[in-house]
Amino acid sequence: MNDPLQQEAREPGTKAKAPRQRYVLDETGFNEVPKKYRKFYRRFGGEGDVLAPNEVLCPVCMVVVRSSRELRPGDRVYCMPCFSRLVVVEADGRLEAQPVY
Amino acid sequence: MAALGAPSEPHSLEECDFLDEVHSFDFWLQAVEGYLLDTKHGHNPELVDEPLPESRREALITALCNYCIGETAALEASSGMIGYAPSRSIKIFLSTQVVDEGRHLEVFLHRLRELGVEDPDAEILQRANPSLLKFKDQLLEYVDSKDWEAAVFAQNVILESLEFTVFQAHAENADPITRQILMAVIKDERRHMGFGENDLGRRLALTPHLRPRLGKIKRQLDQLVMETFAGTLRDTEVPPDEQQRFASSYLAAVARLGVDL
Repeated sequence: MNDPLQQEAREPGTKAKAPRQRYVLDETGFNEVPKKYRKFYRRFGGEGDVLAPNEVLCPVCMVVVRSSRELRPGDRVYCMPCFSRLVVVEADGRLEAQPVY
Repeated sequence: MAALGAPSEPHSLEECDFLDEVHSFDFWLQAVEGYLLDTKHGHNPELVDEPLPESRREALITALCNYCIGETAALEASSGMIGYAPSRSIKIFLSTQVVDEGRHLEVFLHRLRELGVEDPDAEILQRANPSLLKFKDQLLEYVDSKDWEAAVFAQNVILESLEFTVFQAHAENADPITRQILMAVIKDERRHMGFGENDLGRRLALTPHLRPRLGKIKRQLDQLVMETFAGTLRDTEVPPDEQQRFASSYLAAVARLGVDL
């Protein structure tokens, strides 16, 4: 699995992907982790809840995991509410997270 | 696979640092502070009980009695596992789980008294789901025999997933006080079941030959789990068509570990 950001930095001559969009994360009311980590998570609103490009749903505990950068396949994120290490994958044209043990 | 994001992001932690962080007592303390501060007996003390129809009160008492059995099982099991947990970090995590389970038992017992149950212990004996009692006995056998993988699987994967699912279903139609109590318990259960799935997942990645053995344990416990599940969802008045949705959520955790073959 790769980190596209590091790959872009290491290989300046290769065809660059579009730069990742950055996000300013606000508090979401999520209160299940220490304060400094709270903005990186939010509650999932159910089927009608459309995730942003910097969000994936943790399949273990159904909390939305957020990053300050757009997520891409191969990225690693952590779900602190349930201690899961997740990898971002693309399935059916959208981003999903799978636990990596 | 590499880290993502700015240094302040949790996602930029190394895996070992992440595990040390989330298994720590400090993490637990700051996490529960977010949702337990200013509560009393698991809910906002200013919340006023609403009168319940007698049939609903009876069903709630039965459900709470069985929650007490589940929480007692988890309390006894998690405390028993500390002695032979494979690392100090895991011993520390289990100590936080013991505190959580003790709190859950206390708030459910208190809720029973709020509902007019004078002797909760006697009521629990009368209303116990026999399948849940058998499950508890089997779980404590695994714990007593110091069988780490079986104990983590039975408690942190099966029992915790079961509780997580049932409490979520119940919270959707519960009275306001019971709902608040359950919502806070669910937040604790995320840690417990997540710990179980991830600890066992790492072990199975290194020792895949354990998978058939855990599959056998699952098959032995399946009937007890499903009978407990059905009984509790009935007591919590979850509509039959909704029960399948919650059952599939529980089964997903076991499927991710690949032990349901």
